[in-house]
Amino acid sequence: MNIVVLVKQVPDSTEVKINPETGHLIRAGVPSIINPYDHFALQAALELKAKHDFKVTLVSMGPPQAKSVVQMGMALGADEGILLSDMAFAGSDTWSTSYALAKAIRKIGKVDLILAGMQAIDGDTAQTGPGVAQQLGMPQVTFCEKVEVDGRRVIARKQIDGGYEVLEARPPVLLTMIMTKDYTPRYPSFLAVNASLKKPFHVWGAADVGAEEQYLGLKGSPTQVSKIYPPPQREKAAMFSGSGQESVARILQIMRQEHFIEE
Amino acid sequence: MASMDAISRNLMLDSLKEYAKRRIPYDLIRELDEKNEFPAEILKEMYRHDVLGLHLLMVPAEYGGVSGGTFDIYRVCELLARIDLGIATGVFATFLGTDPLNVGGTEEQKEKWLKRIASENLLVAYGATEADAGSDLVNLRTRAEHVVKNGKIVGYNLTGNKQWISNGGVADLYTILALAPGGPSWFLVERDMEGFSPNKHEDKHGIRLSNTAGLSLDNVYVPAENLIGMEEGKGLLQAQAVFGYTRVMVAAFGLGAGEEALEQAIRYSQQRIQGGGPLSEKQGYTHKLIVPNYVRMEGARAYIEYTSQRLDSGEHGLQTEGAIAKYGASEWGNKAADDAIQALGGYGYTKDFPVEKIKRDIKICCIYEGTSEVLEMTIYRGRWQEHLKSRGRYYLDMADKLDQVHAEEPKAGAHAAALALRALAAVLEECRVQKLTRHQHVTFKLGKLICAAETAAIFSTAAAAKKYSETVRFDREGWQAMARVFAREAALNTALEGLALVLGAAEQAGNLADAVNIEAVQAEQKGMIADMDLAAAKLKQTFKAK
Amino acid sequence: MIEVSKKCIGCTKCVPVCPFAAINMIDKKAVMNEACTLCGACVQVCPVQAITITREEASARDFSGFKGVWVYVELTETGDKAHPKKIKPVTFELLGAGRKLADELGEDLCAVLLTDKNHNYEKDLGAYGADKVYMVEHDELFEYNTDVFSTVIVGLVNRHKPSSMLYGATIQGRDLAPRVASTLYVGLTADCTALAIKDGLLLQSRPAFGGNIMADILAPNSRPQMSTVRPNVMKMNEPVLGRTAVVVRESAKLDKSLRRVKVLERKIVHDAGAVKIEGASIIVSGGRGMKTKEKFKQLEELSKLLGGVVGASRAAVDLGFKDKAHQVGQSGTTVSPKLYLSFGISGAVQHIVGMKASDVIVAVNKDPNAPIFNVAKYGIVGDAHEIVPRLIEALKNGK
Repeated sequence: MNIVVLVKQVPDSTEVKINPETGHLIRAGVPSIINPYDHFALQAALELKAKHDFKVTLVSMGPPQAKSVVQMGMALGADEGILLSDMAFAGSDTWSTSYALAKAIRKIGKVDLILAGMQAIDGDTAQTGPGVAQQLGMPQVTFCEKVEVDGRRVIARKQIDGGYEVLEARPPVLLTMIMTKDYTPRYPSFLAVNASLKKPFHVWGAADVGAEEQYLGLKGSPTQVSKIYPPPQREKAAMFSGSGQESVARILQIMRQEHFIEE
Repeated sequence: MASMDAISRNLMLDSLKEYAKRRIPYDLIRELDEKNEFPAEILKEMYRHDVLGLHLLMVPAEYGGVSGGTFDIYRVCELLARIDLGIATGVFATFLGTDPLNVGGTEEQKEKWLKRIASENLLVAYGATEADAGSDLVNLRTRAEHVVKNGKIVGYNLTGNKQWISNGGVADLYTILALAPGGPSWFLVERDMEGFSPNKHEDKHGIRLSNTAGLSLDNVYVPAENLIGMEEGKGLLQAQAVFGYTRVMVAAFGLGAGEEALEQAIRYSQQRIQGGGPLSEKQGYTHKLIVPNYVRMEGARAYIEYTSQRLDSGEHGLQTEGAIAKYGASEWGNKAADDAIQALGGYGYTKDFPVEKIKRDIKICCIYEGTSEVLEMTIYRGRWQEHLKSRGRYYLDMADKLDQVHAEEPKAGAHAAALALRALAAVLEECRVQKLTRHQHVTFKLGKLICAAETAAIFSTAAAAKKYSETVRFDREGWQAMARVFAREAALNTALEGLALVLGAAEQAGNLADAVNIEAVQAEQKGMIADMDLAAAKLKQTFKAK
Repeated sequence: MIEVSKKCIGCTKCVPVCPFAAINMIDKKAVMNEACTLCGACVQVCPVQAITITREEASARDFSGFKGVWVYVELTETGDKAHPKKIKPVTFELLGAGRKLADELGEDLCAVLLTDKNHNYEKDLGAYGADKVYMVEHDELFEYNTDVFSTVIVGLVNRHKPSSMLYGATIQGRDLAPRVASTLYVGLTADCTALAIKDGLLLQSRPAFGGNIMADILAPNSRPQMSTVRPNVMKMNEPVLGRTAVVVRESAKLDKSLRRVKVLERKIVHDAGAVKIEGASIIVSGGRGMKTKEKFKQLEELSKLLGGVVGASRAAVDLGFKDKAHQVGQSGTTVSPKLYLSFGISGAVQHIVGMKASDVIVAVNKDPNAPIFNVAKYGIVGDAHEIVPRLIEALKNGK
């Protein structure tokens, strides 16, 4: 089977801060990382590869420095890496991104299984995976915890409210993965990073994948960001500090005041 | 050799960071520090090819390694120092131990031993230091006597004692410096060789996770092919050849540990409320304990990168540059760690917080790989030659270049750096004219002044560049403010201390007061507080409280 | 389109402000790269107004025929003859939000219901604000399936042309909505925390970068404009009993072969009796500061005494103090109880996003600067280990 893993390089969103005076985002010094959900999807793909000797190709859309996440995947075991990079993609929302990624996957040829992280931690939309599946006409399973392959059957365990479902699909199918104990993402050894430089890596632009301008970038994106601003500041709590006993008395007082316990 | 591309390097650093997060939590480090225990399994695990394979950076690709350049190794050393300086020393010792082989070994020796080190993940130790031969290796006493059979030298018997050898008690392979009939030479000794025994693990002030032990060699027989380079007497030259490089590694230690301590303080200061507000808002605190220290560390960084890039582009030697990098980073790092304890107050003084350990650890950076005093002398000697050779133009030419930099980018402090260099040139010249270098104190002090002035020049040049190294964590505005602060301080110190130095050694100072341009240096101090305010703000932004 | 004019002085103020690292300085001039999303942060900081953003004119497409605010009705997963599937509360919350939008636009609020068997759902849907219910009743709709459900909805949308459509950002909603949006080539905004009408368009507000920034999104050339909203974010209206919704029955041709993904097994792990934290009105929550699993157990007793349930931060779950079903936060459950009482939770953004809608938040933490105090109504600086046992005693003894 041929597996494609979609990976994205994202800013470490826990580190992204707003300048309280100006309300603007501070990006200087914020490290870029592999989207954690994609890291899980990658691990799932590599475990399938180890078990069944499948081919794993990574695809990422991003600026030139996003090569880092593709190379990381190759260092961990993926066979080939593709970076979709082009000024024409500038400002693409999830629809346009899905469109471009779908075009790239079509160019790759026969793809049986696509694994992607459930969402990217910068946008948090979880829309790109299903978008790619739809544009390729493939079925999808989202919120997957684990994936296995049995002959020509793809078996996915999907999280649902209060439990899980086990589903089956015939390839080609796209799965989006959530982060659970089922997989432990790895980091490559120094030798592996060095060796990854020898694996095939391509940079494709819009023209290379036949992506038409009218569907790309800001022009092609159905959603627009109208404004960004810091989350509303709240007034700080009414603070109290005292001994353990005094604190308990204070808590009880609050509970009475707010009618959570009787007077 | 050339360094790798930034992406590959940063992937390796990320893997090391993740490994440390997972396997070397602070609680473990603290426990080992308390127990004075070397984490053997961690070192072994870090060397495993499928985990990290850290040591492979030192081994050329043709012997199964990864061929890291100086820049790559500086970054790894910096990161290791942030994790724990003892562990960093353990890794460094292996690197150091392989140096004589890398630099002086024959092809057969490199093939045999480097391949073994790479594939068997050997821990190596560098056995040079002795009780009476530390900074001064000339007093070497360990001897290597010929063992002759049928008129041929078939081997050597090594006898002597080594002291304070990092990895001494735990290495698999040792490169031992011994006095052979033909002169000091390096020999490869394996742990299990008869007559060889490591002594007990020292109880040290810091880097307690690093195994430090003396070695006893009692007629240890090594075959002739274990003489590195197969030629006696090359030992000291082989050792010196890599000083530029090994000094950069220890400089990176000072940088990593120093900045780690400061970053702890910066984050703490945003949470600690005293006198109606967080400490991070108080100039008396930030402009004494944080800003000047961080600024110097970034100066050290710029200088380390400058030296690394030169070594990676094929230049050899650069021992003086290495000395400047190491001396600066270790002295400034030591001060930074000390101030970090102060910055955390009572909390800094307890073991619950990492800064007191960093302070204990970082002190070694001023001692090993050339004590600060030896390096002051080394720096002075190297540059004194340049000053004489160029008839006093060495620093003036450098200053002229800085004027050009300033013309294109006036916000990087290049003008102040040029003032520092010109003042330095004037001081050196006055010392020459009045023969003041007969006072050893003068020469050592000059070494210190040279380090600061040259670092200022390099820092300002880097801050003026169109593109910054990927290691800089601040925006242009911030890093340039730091370069300006550093350059002003360097200009002030060079002019005033240089002048005082001459006045202290001579009857009079000629027109040195004019030559160091005190007026211009003073005028250049304008804007210092504003720049420190800016630097403090950038530091707060980049190192937000967790 | 974004342009940097000759006015640019190369001051680099715009570079650090860009959330997408899209600005580089080349020859002392700002140059935008392909990561630019036209969010305008740089325009605001440029001291010489050298940056301009021009948006394309809304296309000549006629959107006047698109009317109606639609809400997708989500039913619970399991049901049988004795216990039919129920409408999930998030649907009623969306009807509450949708009602306001519909009133402002002067359009109908319509619920979209896909089911194998109707059980008078229109009564509740009407009571909670729907004017109409587009109902598709078909055997193939017995169980959610991406292909089947999205096909039906796309068909309904093409036929009836709503101006906007809302879905719960539930497991099902987050699977379905993007599929539909992609098919229709319309804009979808996920996890909206606020919805409003601006110049006749749906203004969708949502967090990004893990909650560190808020963004307002528009989809001017999309009809319908689509949004997902998490449960417990919008408020449902008081039901008006007797308020009826008109049922519009729609048919669908659905072949079994559409169902390309088959459910082999479904397992509910948490026992049916377990109280779900989502609906609880009192939550006693613990974080890393509780230190051990044993100490965490005290919170069980405390929550029982108060008549509530136990919640946990992600750190506490990761440390094994409580299982994931109790996790509150971005990667757990969003809750909005009447009382949220926390112990040893510092209040990382990802946690706060999951509980800030609570009516009364009382936080106990050793650190006076813990971020949780910025969302709490009452803060107590103290050691949970001293307070919890004493609080339990006091409640047992009747204060």
